[in-house]
Amino acid sequence: MFDPKLYRRNPDVSWRLIEGQAVLVHNREGEIEVLNEVGSYLWEHAGEPLDGLSGNISQEFDVSREQALRDAEEFYQALVASGALQPFNEK
Amino acid sequence: MATLLEELFAKATRNSHPIFAMFELTYQCNFSCRHCYNPIARKNQPRTGEAPASTRRPLDFSEIMGLLDQLKDMGVLYLSLTGGEPLVHPRFWDILAAAKERQFAVRVFTNGALITPSVADRLDEIGPHCLEISIHGANDATAEALSQVKGSHQNMLKALGYLKERKLRVYLKCTVTKLNEGELEGIKAISDSFGFPVFFDPVITLSDDGEEYPLEMKASDEGVAKLYRSDGINIGNSPFEWEPGELSCTVGAGTLHITPHGDVQPCIQWKQPVGNIREKPLKEIWSTSPVLEEARRVAREMPMLIRKGTKDHAFCRHCPGLSLLRYGDPRRLEEQYLRVARIKAEVSRNEAIDK
Repeated sequence: MFDPKLYRRNPDVSWRLIEGQAVLVHNREGEIEVLNEVGSYLWEHAGEPLDGLSGNISQEFDVSREQALRDAEEFYQALVASGALQPFNEK
Repeated sequence: MATLLEELFAKATRNSHPIFAMFELTYQCNFSCRHCYNPIARKNQPRTGEAPASTRRPLDFSEIMGLLDQLKDMGVLYLSLTGGEPLVHPRFWDILAAAKERQFAVRVFTNGALITPSVADRLDEIGPHCLEISIHGANDATAEALSQVKGSHQNMLKALGYLKERKLRVYLKCTVTKLNEGELEGIKAISDSFGFPVFFDPVITLSDDGEEYPLEMKASDEGVAKLYRSDGINIGNSPFEWEPGELSCTVGAGTLHITPHGDVQPCIQWKQPVGNIREKPLKEIWSTSPVLEEARRVAREMPMLIRKGTKDHAFCRHCPGLSLLRYGDPRRLEEQYLRVARIKAEVSRNEAIDK
């Protein structure tokens, strides 16, 4: 189970919402990620309880709440793997 | 084929969402480059008139913080800190840290001469997106002839070493001049030895106040041709130069520029002030300025202007800001771009014949 309270956006990742999509620039690695609409929503609300986020996604995108929760967890795990999110105790 | 990111940036530009901003922290500089466009008088620059004496107060730190907040609110992602030499600004470190805190991808344009091991440590600690460093030649004599500062080349080389040790991202930028046009391979070899890409720009800009003395440093036709005959050479002014679809310039739409005094300009080259952040919010300037609207119109017309302006249109670029400065007409193609297009066309034809 992914606990959003334990993670934060990596301060070395610059980002902006551009035309509704989050563009993430990994300053150290030089890589750029462009998130889709749902991913951008989750990125903007990183750190917030997954229950609420998945509920909103479920309403907005015609997907079950359970599925939305699983997808959100998977998405956040991928962001941890890419370094865009990091545990609070890391520099 | 355009990448997802390029498509997104092109869409943003069509909707006048500025992604890039350039902030000149100061006009002060520790170099006196012969080809510099900076409006402050440097030694040995053959001006025809007096340099403009500015009695205006530069933005103070709190005004700069307000500017950064506004740029963030407008959705700017890439922020270039430039000058003059940005490292001579007394609050450079605070400004860099504040920009990073506001999640900008910060590009620092510098001549590198002030980068010591401790400066490199601070850069590493704060973590800008990249440093873009001017390289003037392949040896001390050429570089110092352009910078007019003894030791400039060696200090820059030391800086590259410190930055490489810390794995910071560096792009080298070389304006091709008559003094260094014979050293392009040597300059490329230096960049390769550090593993930093180098970008060669064959176009020299006028002084910001319209004086033409920097053009005395223009490379010869043969020097420019050599650039286009060489393999594996990056041409342009940075890796961030991109062409969004039909547009070949993002002036007034995807980019904006702020001077040390808070004047807002369409870009670093289009010098017409469109407002000042002390007088109006940046967003209001951006959305209501007739000059910016005109700049956007010119950018949209650009493919047509180029097609009509030269038979070498397939090889031509256009900088409306430089044309405005030089001729008072942003639609008129500028002589250097026409010359580069003619040379590129010749090189291309000769290469086709050789094959």
